Amino acid sequence: MAGLGDLDEISADIIESCRRGDRDAFRALYETYKDKVYSIALYFFHGDASAASDITQQVFLKLIRDIAQFRGESGFSTWLYRLVVNACMDAARRAKPREIVADTRSEPGSQEEDFARRQRAQSVQAALSALPVKFRLPMLLRYFEDLSYQEMARALGCSMGTVASRLSRGHRMLAQKLESLR
Amino acid sequence: MSDELKDLPLVKAPDAIWARIEAELDRPSQSPRRFLPGFAWACAFAAMLIIGLYVLYRPKAEWDVVRADGSKGKIAVGDWLETGAASKAVLTVGDIGTVEVHPNTRVRLEAAKPGEQRLKLARGDISATVTAPPRLFIVDTPASTAFDLGCAYTMHADEDGNGLLRVTLGWVSLEWAGRESLVPAGASCRTHAKVGPGTPYFDDASQALQDALKQFDFENGGEPALEMALSESRVRDTLTLWHLLSRVAPVDRQRVFQRMVQLVPLPQSVSADKALQLDPETLKLWREELAWKW
Repeated sequence: MAGLGDLDEISADIIESCRRGDRDAFRALYETYKDKVYSIALYFFHGDASAASDITQQVFLKLIRDIAQFRGESGFSTWLYRLVVNACMDAARRAKPREIVADTRSEPGSQEEDFARRQRAQSVQAALSALPVKFRLPMLLRYFEDLSYQEMARALGCSMGTVASRLSRGHRMLAQKLESLR
Repeated sequence: MSDELKDLPLVKAPDAIWARIEAELDRPSQSPRRFLPGFAWACAFAAMLIIGLYVLYRPKAEWDVVRADGSKGKIAVGDWLETGAASKAVLTVGDIGTVEVHPNTRVRLEAAKPGEQRLKLARGDISATVTAPPRLFIVDTPASTAFDLGCAYTMHADEDGNGLLRVTLGWVSLEWAGRESLVPAGASCRTHAKVGPGTPYFDDASQALQDALKQFDFENGGEPALEMALSESRVRDTLTLWHLLSRVAPVDRQRVFQRMVQLVPLPQSVSADKALQLDPETLKLWREELAWKW
């Protein structure tokens, strides 16, 4: 899965147009990042499509309204994921525990491969969803969004050491949960 | 494990989301109206009047202030805010965070615009909590400038510029006259008049190390202070040693380097020669590797 680092460069012009209030540029920005933002929210909220839609809407509205504040000196993706993290954390604090909803979509392939892939993804998603929030977010940012440790530290507002230790513990917990699901 | 995680499929966002976003964006705007020809001049006159009044009475860039007694007010760019021995206030930094102004503190709002929120701390103590793109929120003191990299921190300064930054979340870049100290959560950094930021250290570092840094940075501690800092350093204190590497005299650089690689083996991706030559890219790469241990 491609990271956002390479998308930052191609988005520079779009970001500049967004600062000028260009609605088409907003749309282009949205199209570039929407699936990643939606996916991370979906996996964060246990497959809850409604919650993921709300988070995606909220993140992009905030992004569009505040983009004039973005000066381009720092990574755009860092800011974007900080908004995603904050939105997810805020919503998680407000929300009651949800039931796990397995709703991962399949990629093209044979029926057997498709089934196996879906089963595997569902297991991983279920195990991920069961992780505490502070371990779930770093895992999603690292492996689903392919962020660097530095980007994750900035998005999560903690040191790279903390990111490393949470990833390490998250891995161990995930491995244990996957074993119990098999 | 990593492969399984990477196999998580990207899920397409429903098309309806953009429609909802557009509806929100359009909500405040009004549909265009046709003007009756007879009113054209009147409308033009009214517009000019409104513009004139706006220019005369336009709101100044300002932050909201809530004092400890609950009274509310504003602080505009250029205004000073001073708290007494028993008073304090909370400033709202646009919609990106808050600054708590503690007793016996004097601050001035320097800038309040979308690309820059800037406060001057002339003396006293503040606590800042900011959620904004890095380097948007800035605090000037008499001997340093603190650039927020996404974080929460406290800062003390006296009128001469002597002070202390303590970071509780994220990172702060403390800069002054070409000197830069990167301070992560759990670490502190002193500032000193005419010198600027000192060498950052973790708050759980030994007192001997902290004292040695004070002597080295601000009291011409020289060789004994450096020796003490090296001998007292733990793995985590490579934060301190990484900063010292480029601050010691060239003749001492090798000693700092040796202590660092003794504590944490040099990563394969980092060239020893380039690190000793203080190549910026190499030092940055090394810092990112070391930060795993911080």
